Amino acid sequence: MSRVLTYAKAINEALFQSMERDASVFILGEDVAKMGGDFGITQGISYKWPDRIFDTALSESAILGLSNGAALCGLRPVPEIMFADFLGVCYDQLVNNAAKLRFMFQGKAGAPITVRAVQGAGIRCAYHHSACVESWFMNTPGLVVVSPSSPYEAKGMLNAAIRNDNPVIFLEHKLLYNTKGEVPEEYYEVPLYEAEVEREGSDVTIIGLQITLPMAHAAAKQLEKKGVSCEIIDLRTVAPYDKETLKASVAKTGRLVIAQEGPRCGGWAAELSAMISEDLFEYLRAPIKRVTSLDVPIAFAPALEDFVLPKTEQIVAACEALMEY
Amino acid sequence: MALAKERLLKVYKDMFMIRRFEEVIQEYAANGTIPGFVHLSIGQEACQAGVVEALQRTDYKFPDHRGHGAIALCGTDPKLVMAEIFAKATGINGGRGGSMHVNDLEYRNMGFNGIQGSTMVTCLGTAFASVYNKTKDVTAVFLGDGTLGEGACHESLNLAATWKLPVLYCLVNNQYAISTNYHDAHPQQELKTWGEGYEIPSCRIDGNDVEAVIETVEVAAEHARNGEGPALIEMMTYRWQGHFAGDPAAYRPEEEVAAWKAKDPVKKTRGDLMQKHGFSEEALTAIEAGIEADIAEMLRFSLESPAPKIEEALTFVYADREVEA
Repeated sequence: MSRVLTYAKAINEALFQSMERDASVFILGEDVAKMGGDFGITQGISYKWPDRIFDTALSESAILGLSNGAALCGLRPVPEIMFADFLGVCYDQLVNNAAKLRFMFQGKAGAPITVRAVQGAGIRCAYHHSACVESWFMNTPGLVVVSPSSPYEAKGMLNAAIRNDNPVIFLEHKLLYNTKGEVPEEYYEVPLYEAEVEREGSDVTIIGLQITLPMAHAAAKQLEKKGVSCEIIDLRTVAPYDKETLKASVAKTGRLVIAQEGPRCGGWAAELSAMISEDLFEYLRAPIKRVTSLDVPIAFAPALEDFVLPKTEQIVAACEALMEY
Repeated sequence: MALAKERLLKVYKDMFMIRRFEEVIQEYAANGTIPGFVHLSIGQEACQAGVVEALQRTDYKFPDHRGHGAIALCGTDPKLVMAEIFAKATGINGGRGGSMHVNDLEYRNMGFNGIQGSTMVTCLGTAFASVYNKTKDVTAVFLGDGTLGEGACHESLNLAATWKLPVLYCLVNNQYAISTNYHDAHPQQELKTWGEGYEIPSCRIDGNDVEAVIETVEVAAEHARNGEGPALIEMMTYRWQGHFAGDPAAYRPEEEVAAWKAKDPVKKTRGDLMQKHGFSEEALTAIEAGIEADIAEMLRFSLESPAPKIEEALTFVYADREVEA
């Protein structure tokens, strides 16, 4: 049975169902138990399982360190880091530890942790509460980085992440929390490492993630009127990403626009662009285009924040430029 | 309360073995056979042997980067530890970790770590798992005077104290963080006050007195096992060598080094065996010759073992995915 849920509620439901299925799953973080999370994502869990959800001091390193150590003992921690920007405080536990524990222990143990954090700009909170952080982590082998874009994906990918034996950084977008969509009631998983073709087309491939996907769909509608057929791919897992789906699409269309919310330099869009250039050069009919934020910190004032973020019209313009190339 | 004769003899053998183990490592690092960094613990044997002796096999141990001695005493066959340091396929971790990262889950040696302060928070997780799984296993983490400069230490002490986690902070105060004396890096005369600040029972002991180390750690471990929370034990000692094999350690006064060499923990224990327990010179020499033969066998094994196969580099990065070359 499916019904309409918000992205926030879908995540909450995944937590409940994953905890129901597996007694080794527990939650810790700042304000997660009594308050139910700064964004309300862990609401209700402490009533059902008071011994499996823990409020901590403001100690991101301790939250992730404890998670890694407990995971080595066979538990499945689901730590919450309130804002993805704060992952900078505990970066060591992710890139030097979680990512390498399985390698270090030769597969006899690892760090099956799922680190939930909320990312993204758009709520006028300036440069310490607005970053998109996939690219901070994708240069570290051993980490899985996922960014669900819909309520259906959010629930299914969180379930998959918690059951996955790798450390997964699960990035929720704050502008998506109140978006709604069909979500099955029962437990299900959306597989990690698989991108999804959301719209089929023949002229240009647009790869998007989270808030750039609605922009891509809006752009595709405008372009359709001009006779340009866009294929839209939801990347879903940023690292390790789904090369085959991306390559199959670009081999068909010969044109690629990558729409990424974070800054341009060294972003995941740059990696996808490099991979396609290396592997599919002879299929390309035009250069690859990236639509991204500008390479600046996110400012507080609405006009400044809006100016630097990617926009639908930029995706339209990029596609048109490729068609005219 | 002094140790029984047999037990003191056992730890003397342990200390003599790790002294000779380290001297062999020093020689083969100097002649270029062992690649990479090697951090020696000559002079610190009483801390290493004493802490391990006071723990159970099922207790979790987080040795530090100067931890070959403790590792070789956790239960793992020491020749597999030596082969690991020699970067060989037969090493306990197949040559993927080396001097700084030897681990063995079977004996709950959780691997030491190249990042100062990192295991200070990871150790919270094994201690947490003991509480969550309702077992009596304690977690012992080795740290140095230098480690206390890391912010993660505060998060660890704070959380362990607040949640009464069974963590033993085994602070090996060898007085130097590479070249910096602890008095030049921390305002406290005694570093045990770091524990006291978090209301953790803390003490400073002679880290070259193996009986004192064993007795103190045993009492602390018993308290932790009974749910009374963490303890911090500052063990005063000295590293005879530089920070890494090859560091001439010109930053330390010669008289200071000489004074500490006069307090040799291995010699002290040997003297105690003769004076307090009636061992003869001949009896101890015969025992030492037996250990020398063991060391020679470890060395032969390490030198003759093959290097790892290069495909090993690609294994155990992810639990569920292959990595392409």
